[in-house]
Amino acid sequence: MTATTTQNLVTERITGFLRDYGALLGMLIVLLIVGALKPSFLSTSNLTNVLRQSTILIMLSLGLTIVMSMRGVDLSIAQIADAAGLMAAMLILHGQPAWMALIVPVVFGLGVGAINGALMAYLGVPAIIGTLGMMFVIRSGELLATNGAEPQMLFTLPRAITKSFLFLGQGYIGPVSALVVLAAVVVMLAAVLMHLTPFARRAHAVGANVRAAFLAGIDIRGVFGLGYVVAGVFAAIAGVALVSRTGIAVPRGAEPYLLDAFAAAYLGTLASRHGDMNVGGTLIGALFIAFLGNGLTILGLGAPYRYTLNGAFILLAMAVGALKRKS
Amino acid sequence: MTDDPAAPPTPEPILECRSIQKRFPGVVALADVSLVIGRGRIHALLGQNGAGKSTLVKILTGVYQHDGGEILVAGQPVRMASPRDAEAAGIAIVHQDQQLVEQLDVTSNVFLGYEETTRGGLLDVAAMRAKTRVALDRVGASFTPDTLVRDLSVAERALVSIAAAVMRDPRILVLDEPTASLSEKEAELLFHVVRSLRDAGTTIIYISHYLDEVLDLVDDITELRDGRLIATLPAAGISRADVVGMMIGREISQFFPKETIEIGEPLLEIRGLSQGTMVRGVDLTIRRGEIFGLAGLIGAGRSELAMTLIGALPRSSGTVTVAGRPSSPSDPRAAKRQGFALIPEDRRNEGLITAMTMRDNLTLPEIARWSRFGVLNLGQEREDANDLVRRLAIQPPNIRQLARNLSGGNQQKVVIGRWLAGDAEVFLFDEPTTGVDVGSKVEIYRQMTELARRGAAVILISSDFQEIAGMCDRAAVMHKGRINVVLERDRLDPETLLYWASGSDVATAAPTAAGKPNQPPEALERQTARSHAQTWMRWGTIGGMVLVLAIIAMLAPQFLAPGNIFDILKQGSVLAFIAIGLTVVLIAGGFDMSAGAISQLTTNLAAGALIAGQGSVVAIAAGVATGAGLGVVNALLVLVFGMPAFVATLGTMFVVMGATLFYNGGQALTLANQPDFFFIGQGYVGPIPFVFLLLVALTFVLHIVLRKTRLGLRMYAVGQNTIAAELRGIARGRYALASFVVGGVVLGFAGVVLASYSYGASALATGIDFLISALAAAFLGSTLSRAGELSVIGTAFTALFLASLSNGLILIGISNQALPGIQGIVLILSIVLGVIRRRDIGQVLIF
Repeated sequence: MTATTTQNLVTERITGFLRDYGALLGMLIVLLIVGALKPSFLSTSNLTNVLRQSTILIMLSLGLTIVMSMRGVDLSIAQIADAAGLMAAMLILHGQPAWMALIVPVVFGLGVGAINGALMAYLGVPAIIGTLGMMFVIRSGELLATNGAEPQMLFTLPRAITKSFLFLGQGYIGPVSALVVLAAVVVMLAAVLMHLTPFARRAHAVGANVRAAFLAGIDIRGVFGLGYVVAGVFAAIAGVALVSRTGIAVPRGAEPYLLDAFAAAYLGTLASRHGDMNVGGTLIGALFIAFLGNGLTILGLGAPYRYTLNGAFILLAMAVGALKRKS
Repeated sequence: MTDDPAAPPTPEPILECRSIQKRFPGVVALADVSLVIGRGRIHALLGQNGAGKSTLVKILTGVYQHDGGEILVAGQPVRMASPRDAEAAGIAIVHQDQQLVEQLDVTSNVFLGYEETTRGGLLDVAAMRAKTRVALDRVGASFTPDTLVRDLSVAERALVSIAAAVMRDPRILVLDEPTASLSEKEAELLFHVVRSLRDAGTTIIYISHYLDEVLDLVDDITELRDGRLIATLPAAGISRADVVGMMIGREISQFFPKETIEIGEPLLEIRGLSQGTMVRGVDLTIRRGEIFGLAGLIGAGRSELAMTLIGALPRSSGTVTVAGRPSSPSDPRAAKRQGFALIPEDRRNEGLITAMTMRDNLTLPEIARWSRFGVLNLGQEREDANDLVRRLAIQPPNIRQLARNLSGGNQQKVVIGRWLAGDAEVFLFDEPTTGVDVGSKVEIYRQMTELARRGAAVILISSDFQEIAGMCDRAAVMHKGRINVVLERDRLDPETLLYWASGSDVATAAPTAAGKPNQPPEALERQTARSHAQTWMRWGTIGGMVLVLAIIAMLAPQFLAPGNIFDILKQGSVLAFIAIGLTVVLIAGGFDMSAGAISQLTTNLAAGALIAGQGSVVAIAAGVATGAGLGVVNALLVLVFGMPAFVATLGTMFVVMGATLFYNGGQALTLANQPDFFFIGQGYVGPIPFVFLLLVALTFVLHIVLRKTRLGLRMYAVGQNTIAAELRGIARGRYALASFVVGGVVLGFAGVVLASYSYGASALATGIDFLISALAAAFLGSTLSRAGELSVIGTAFTALFLASLSNGLILIGISNQALPGIQGIVLILSIVLGVIRRRDIGQVLIF
């Protein structure tokens, strides 16, 4: 009798553990398998390199997470990042100081986010449609500005001009990459915003039950709209960081990040007990996607695998989430 | 009880219930109910909420199965396992506020689920219209069968529902609260219809709370109370007071902790407040320290009055002051600042955020109080939340518990508690004690008393008249949006309250009659405005399109050259194929992010098949089959796994894009020397591009399928109002699947056309690029149809317009790099046109 109850208890604890941490475990195992196949994947230099690369995706997907936690969607974030990076590069190429190249694109992201917020929260345009439209409007702007997608190359300029701008993406603060420091700051900001502020509670309420939130006297439009502003700002920061890291701004170069950001956000729901969008989960999801992408490249598996796997991850996360909510 | 039914009122029973029993877990809903309903009579079922009327009706219409007893129709025992069985037995029901598909016309709504077809399988519209006209005549309707339901008033919609029921020639027609949302004049017309149906031989079972109407109309009445039969009697000679006496009975009196509190000066003054047709000219003055009851039956307008006070419903007219200051809140947030607090009726859906913890719910409205420099002081918040929990005696006092898992009583206490932290002075309790255990009830009454003691005004909305009589200092009784009477404490007893709630007196009928003429014109005005807006939008869009093309033609005369026009038709047709495929999915399946990616994959498959030398037929078959298969996959994800269409198709989109890259290895698949195949996308018949003829043919076929067949009608019905469709026995799954598969076939074929048009497939996997043009075509196209719904013809036209626009803009020297942006703006504008008057925010289902 006691033996069976202990056994039941053990099974229960194991299933409980798997439910809470199974996804995390699965991700770790996948990465370890890649490491076993190609030991160079787990080398310190590769790991630190991928960590630096992953920062862009982390910042981008956190903005998406905030919007999606309120049942919104932002298909324009990758394009905002793209345009912001392009803007930064063009400002430097036109001889503007580095601080301009950092501030102006972020203001641009804020502005686009505000327009998105007005469309979705105040006019009531469904988020898929509104942000898809915005994505194409920005894309046109980029193409027109660059005369049909001419890359804006910073690495051809004298080092003296670009040095301070490129520090963000390539420099080190002590032993730590400036990019990693930036991403850590953004993650902290997102975590505080989504856990420790009045906005966090209101956003949670809007996402869970917008009618009840409205009747409780919450400014649902303001809260919903603010999510887009935050997503726009985060996307712009990510775009600037990307150009600063690579030294080149290719129009439409950041577009593939949209897919990765969706996969990261949906994978992140696996780390939550109730299958919600959350900052910590997205951080883990984004790291996993970035490392997996690198692993696939090392294994010689290209874009087709990446697309297919990302799509499969989204569907998998949804299916697991449905099961969680049922139990 | 059953040994005392009056002698059967008529010699010939049409329906007999013998000892019907129905139990739900923990509740006996019907205990041994026996009654006889005479043929050709109007028979009322009466009783308070929870008396068992609706359970009995659900058993009679096959929604529930009884646990004991038997039912006889015309002397024959019947077993009703589903609504279809009830219909076969000749029993039809018109539900309260019956759902209709607004964008369809009256005929389609009347016949939905029972469509008649010609031998060729097409809808027999002429025959159905003729029959609908006859049915409408029978119910005395003055509108025509081809009117859109959207353009009808509430009363006219009720007639449509009755006509639909009458159409099937039922032996027994059940009318559930048919007058709840009608004005008195409209109700009078309805009674005329009901009487003439009875005179034509139909037996009517009539359920209503409005006793004065009932007693005028019906022949017999059956009273139910607490799941038991009280009596069945002829209506002649019975007074409203008699009926009220039977309905109330002698219940064991409950404990009400009423305390006497000194009443202060007036706090809330309401003058002439109206909200559409639900609240009409309400005047009330409520004082500090007072618990003021708002009694009435469901639908009397009490909740609407509360919602209007806090700005959740727009006010039509009237003024409100709180402590002398005028109050006209634009939303509940403004009302909160002016001192209003609402405890909503539906606490699980409107009161609580069930996915949040008790603490989060308690502090939600005033959360900013616990923040310093924008960051929450969680320790202080926890302390204050625990204080509230102690004050409200919530057991167990675990503030980290999810609100979803709390008992009904605790949930209600949380909703009350969240307003205690603020400065609210006017508390609106809407049915606070339904589904709450006795102990919590007393606690809720104590809280109300406590608030009154602090000088607040407490308004208690309740259908439990004992509760109103037990707790209130004064009470108003509402009936059809008006205050019937205001009763002082010494006159508060359940009988008097129910008497006033169930009908108005002659004395109050006079102002009612005077106020009435205002109502129908007002409603009519609203509909005409709406109808006008639609017409304006339709012709405005068409006018705008023509204007744009005219300007282009003026700036670039070569735009109208025949050669250029045929070029546009060719370009536009390719886009139109994809847009039409997407439209078909949107009609019943929800959303499809994968539309463009599917077409892209089949472009590659078709090109690959030709390169492998397999010929055009294989290429087409491969494309179409793949499209259909992916449609099935999408449908399975949505219907079997219950994923929202957006996410399911987003996942599919990525997988399909990956598959495309696997297939083409990142290389363009270029075709050459395939004259047969190239003819599809590039050939001409005379001067006309073949692909355009193909588009016309496909649009025509799909138009017939969607508009003239049972399948199409039901796809629209499922997409526009799933509940209405399911009431007519139309399951969503089958039609959503059809929508995904047909859409997939078209998308697959579109890919093949694209391969022919562009000499193969490009290397990129840019599935999302086609999506925007296709969405723009579908949504802008929807504004071209009469009811503003998606249609393949509208989509095809708009796709051709978008192609002309791109072509024209390039001709007048605008860079083709601007085209995506212009399409994005067109897409947003076409949506804004449709949503601008709705007050929602743009949330989507993403989980």
